[in-house]
Amino acid sequence: MRQPEALEGWKVGMFLLSILPTFQHSLSAQAVDSLAIRFSGMTAVTGYEQAMTDSLLVLLPGSVRDRTGNVTVSLGRGAPKRLIYCSLDEIGYAVGNISDDGYATLRRVGGGARLSPLFDQQLEGHRVTVFGRRGPVPGVVAVRSTHLTRGRPTGNEAPFTVDNAYVDVGAASRDEVLALGISLLSPVALTKRPQRYGNGLVAAPNAGRRAACAALAAAALSRPRVRGTVVVGFTVQSLYADTAGLKTIVNLQGPFSDTRMVTVPSKFGDTTVETVALKDVDALVADVVQWMGGGQ
Amino acid sequence: MRYTRRHVGTSARTLGLFGLLAVVPTCRLVGQDSIRISEAQSVLSQLVESYGVSGSEAPVREVVKRLLPGWVKTETDTAGNLWVRAGQGEGPVVIVAHMDEIGFRVDTINADGTLGLRTRGGFILSLFEANLALIHTDRADIPGIFLPRDTGLTRRTPPPLRVSVGASSRAGAESLGVKVGQTITMPKQYVRLAGTRATGRSFDDRMGCAALILALRTVDRAKLRHPVVFLFSTREEIGLEGADAAAHQLGTSTRRVHAIDTFVSADSPLELQNFAAQKLGAGAVARALDNSSITPPAYVDSLANLAQARGIALQIGTTNGGNDGSTFTQFGVVDVAMGWPLRYSHSPAEVVDLKDLVSLADLVRAVAEDW
Repeated sequence: MRQPEALEGWKVGMFLLSILPTFQHSLSAQAVDSLAIRFSGMTAVTGYEQAMTDSLLVLLPGSVRDRTGNVTVSLGRGAPKRLIYCSLDEIGYAVGNISDDGYATLRRVGGGARLSPLFDQQLEGHRVTVFGRRGPVPGVVAVRSTHLTRGRPTGNEAPFTVDNAYVDVGAASRDEVLALGISLLSPVALTKRPQRYGNGLVAAPNAGRRAACAALAAAALSRPRVRGTVVVGFTVQSLYADTAGLKTIVNLQGPFSDTRMVTVPSKFGDTTVETVALKDVDALVADVVQWMGGGQ
Repeated sequence: MRYTRRHVGTSARTLGLFGLLAVVPTCRLVGQDSIRISEAQSVLSQLVESYGVSGSEAPVREVVKRLLPGWVKTETDTAGNLWVRAGQGEGPVVIVAHMDEIGFRVDTINADGTLGLRTRGGFILSLFEANLALIHTDRADIPGIFLPRDTGLTRRTPPPLRVSVGASSRAGAESLGVKVGQTITMPKQYVRLAGTRATGRSFDDRMGCAALILALRTVDRAKLRHPVVFLFSTREEIGLEGADAAAHQLGTSTRRVHAIDTFVSADSPLELQNFAAQKLGAGAVARALDNSSITPPAYVDSLANLAQARGIALQIGTTNGGNDGSTFTQFGVVDVAMGWPLRYSHSPAEVVDLKDLVSLADLVRAVAEDW
């Protein structure tokens, strides 16, 4: 069936598949690390996760996508039937309006009251990617020029908020923006730049979630011995709509005798430099494989 | 362009996926460029992707040397300025662009392994908070992060920033190669936007450097009316120091100076429009009045006439900030500052229009040959 038009451009996400490693019977720690870093470079704004789930469908033989967008793969057979899952979505933005002079303005998707008042400030003066119908479009979020602050006090100002986020893609008019494939509801996120530093650390937005999903994918790809049936789930919309993704899996494929969400410890959560230790990812793979086999 | 707070006087291993993601839109948006735009982009992108915090401009200087035409003989003075001389006679015209960029210097290595910083130049500190960091050494850059604030402070401006290289002790940081005095920035990349626009960090003043290089590639040396010094200066962002050394060396012999530096534009939805409203894409700008110098009106008119005669797009405006040419005025030298419109100055997401670079390079050539 033809996908809704607004999502056609997301097929560019398939481009990513060509650079994903081919996994055979076992996974080296290096391959797991590589997968964690690559997942951290992907964007999956909550409710708009299709590009990433496209990649997962190709990466994981036998995987399927349900109507909500979750990707699942079923391992083993018979009872007991258990679920292990990660949440792959992230707080992001969608284009809310496009001005006559060619700026896109935004609304946040996900977050809510628990979000740090500094979250939106990470956009200010930084590169973003707008995922338009024709593929990703680079842009920046406007910031006042340092030289033109004109003596206005800045030291004790309230944080920058999404209400002041003007996305500049280099266009001079609304028509030029539309011609790039950008429209209302196009997802927008900070441009991802995962960076290794220190001794096996990785910094990236949502690094913890992505590392957990990488560990789960790596475990599934390692052809583990499975007790009964294990449904491996990569859930969408965990940050929105009352965790619609997880509930969909439970209602469509349950009941499950046991359910486990996988996580990786992280520092500096909800920032651009959320940091995970790759050794924790490797340890999680081993732990998940053991759990699939019936161990604790 | 130097930021003056109170007006006058005052690879890391960034991963392949990101690189590939960035390539996709870039390739798609560029379309068919003219030869001039392509050459401008080729020069500018190499300059923008080199690092040179004030006082540590050597990597930029090497890129400049590589991009200059074959006939050029360069000299580097004790201040680190790169000189290119053309033409014969006495009383040079000086055309100056600065090589340095804003950033940080490692001030201390703390007991917990974090790095205390000193700013180099003026900028909005929050733009670096919780972002990737690069510590520049004589060998490879060391990756790290600018730490998010760990207090409950929820105002826009963070407390003094620190950098982590993932070490938990001073010895650990030092074992990675960190030393006091090294400079720190964040990773940067030249990225093409729609049309002829581009984004990156440190267009201020790599656009100026690019304009000089492009002009030197096309200038007719036989046409020069005066000797011309093309000067690539150092330490502009921390007080015009490199240019000041050159100005003192040349003294009153300088015939005229042209600072080629950013025209910080209010062409943005966040700026007041009462001045500096010159538009991106509408050509070079005569920076007739800023916080450090005033170009005499007769010179502005003369420049406008020259541009018109050559068919060069030129805007005339006033903006904030200081410029290297102002260090020459103490010797009775007129500073005819020129620039290009820049959005979002001193941020990681500066935006320029390549058409303005072409226009500026033509103007630099014109003042060298005909004025």
